[in-house]
Amino acid sequence: MDSAPDLPSEALLRELIGIGPEGDRLRENLAAYRVILEEIRKLRTLEVSDIHPAIVFDPTLSYRGR
Amino acid sequence: MEPIDQPIEALAPTLRAGNLSSVELTEAALERIRTRDEALKSFVAVNENAIAAARSVDRELRSGLWRGPLHGVPIGVKDNYFTADMPTTAGSRAPGVGFPLVDSAAASRLRAAGAIFIGKTRTHEFAWGPICPPTRNPWDLSRIPGGSSGGSGAAVAGGLCVAALGTDTGGSIRIPASLCGLVGLKPTFGRVSRAGIVPHSWSLDHAGPMTRTVADCAAMMSVLAGYDSEDPACRHEPVPDYARALDQSIVGLTIGVCRNHFFGRNQAAVESAVETALADLSAAGAAIVEFQLPNLDYGLGAIYAIELASSAAYHDRALQTGRTAHYANDVRTLVEIGRFVTAADYVKAEQVRHILMTDLARAFESVDVIIGPTLPLTAWSPDVESVEIGAVAESPLAASWRLSYLYNLTGLPAMSLPCGFDSDGLPIGLHIAGKPYDEMTVFRVAHAYERDRPWRDARATLAPRLN
Repeated sequence: MDSAPDLPSEALLRELIGIGPEGDRLRENLAAYRVILEEIRKLRTLEVSDIHPAIVFDPTLSYRGR
Repeated sequence: MEPIDQPIEALAPTLRAGNLSSVELTEAALERIRTRDEALKSFVAVNENAIAAARSVDRELRSGLWRGPLHGVPIGVKDNYFTADMPTTAGSRAPGVGFPLVDSAAASRLRAAGAIFIGKTRTHEFAWGPICPPTRNPWDLSRIPGGSSGGSGAAVAGGLCVAALGTDTGGSIRIPASLCGLVGLKPTFGRVSRAGIVPHSWSLDHAGPMTRTVADCAAMMSVLAGYDSEDPACRHEPVPDYARALDQSIVGLTIGVCRNHFFGRNQAAVESAVETALADLSAAGAAIVEFQLPNLDYGLGAIYAIELASSAAYHDRALQTGRTAHYANDVRTLVEIGRFVTAADYVKAEQVRHILMTDLARAFESVDVIIGPTLPLTAWSPDVESVEIGAVAESPLAASWRLSYLYNLTGLPAMSLPCGFDSDGLPIGLHIAGKPYDEMTVFRVAHAYERDRPWRDARATLAPRLN
């Protein structure tokens, strides 16, 4: 018989995000993030594997001003 | 008009000629702070050394030493710039938050130019967000001045200082400039050093001036701009004489108008004022070219991912140790939810940023500047949660940075300057963006527009509402 997969526990979610807001506060944060996630979800639909990120690593940076 | 209400361009020759002393001007600023700031709440600290600094400047001026247009002029400094003679709080009262008593690069340059630091202006905690409670708008004390450089906007517009410093991560110079009827410039990323400014989001943060006129903005930029090895973003780019851009004709220039995203979802008065400004610029000899930018639907997600993740990284130890519990609740939430942005989301946001930069570079192949509104609305009351914009109900906070954040993502110079008032007498901002490191053309177009506007000398008096 099929069973529904377990949802991640609050403890696991806290472990994943690396901070430990408890109960109501975690739920409030998730609610606040929902509207932002709608926008970030649009990024996830893009195929941009041929685009270099805007930030370019510069190995000379630490030598400036020396 | 009293001297403290005049722009730098009028004050500088008067100070240099000895017809006005820096002490007189500084005393007038301090008197304004005493009489007006209980209502405005624009300053968090007043510089106890201001009069002594002004006396020193007056001695220099009397001896014939003139350091330039800022010599002897009272300037407000946003409370996220380090200053040697005033504490920096970045708007935070949380325990354990403290910053060194040294001058930031910008403060150091202004001090060397003879500017008088009158005090530190209020910012929302860690410059988070487009509001700045409890600061009020000098044009209507029941409204907000915008943020996060709202203290600087209210102080200059309210006549408490002659110019001020702001910072801009998603619009935080241009938003209060627009709502308070000022000129505010977010220079090219890398043009003005951010060394000694409390970081908010390293690749989005910009430092810049907030002034009463375009010429004042050019005077401030001539001092602020330049390479600094202490800011990794700074580049060795020649700094032109910005004053040379003023009074140049705009005949032959091409103004781009991006018709998607920037138009069609603005308050009617805003849309009308900007269309009138475009017609005026066309009549002055500029060509107008309309175009559309693709991919703007992805911009908001990109700046959210970059700003939230960067801020969460900056505050990471405060998060881990629970110190963020002492932050303002909205700031604490924003810092905590930065943890929800995945690494892949962040890198993808940087890829989208590259796409938007390329789209704009393509547009700038055929135009010299891009013009639109700075904000879709005028100043709102702090208790308003929803406004009708283009027949759609929208949160004013969400609307406020919709037209400004693109230029933080792409690092291009962008200025807000006044282009009229709505029927409630609230200022409307015109937004002019330019090519990388081409602030000169932005100044040229802005000054040509500003020169003959009837509101150039308009000042918010506060007087009827204070009594």
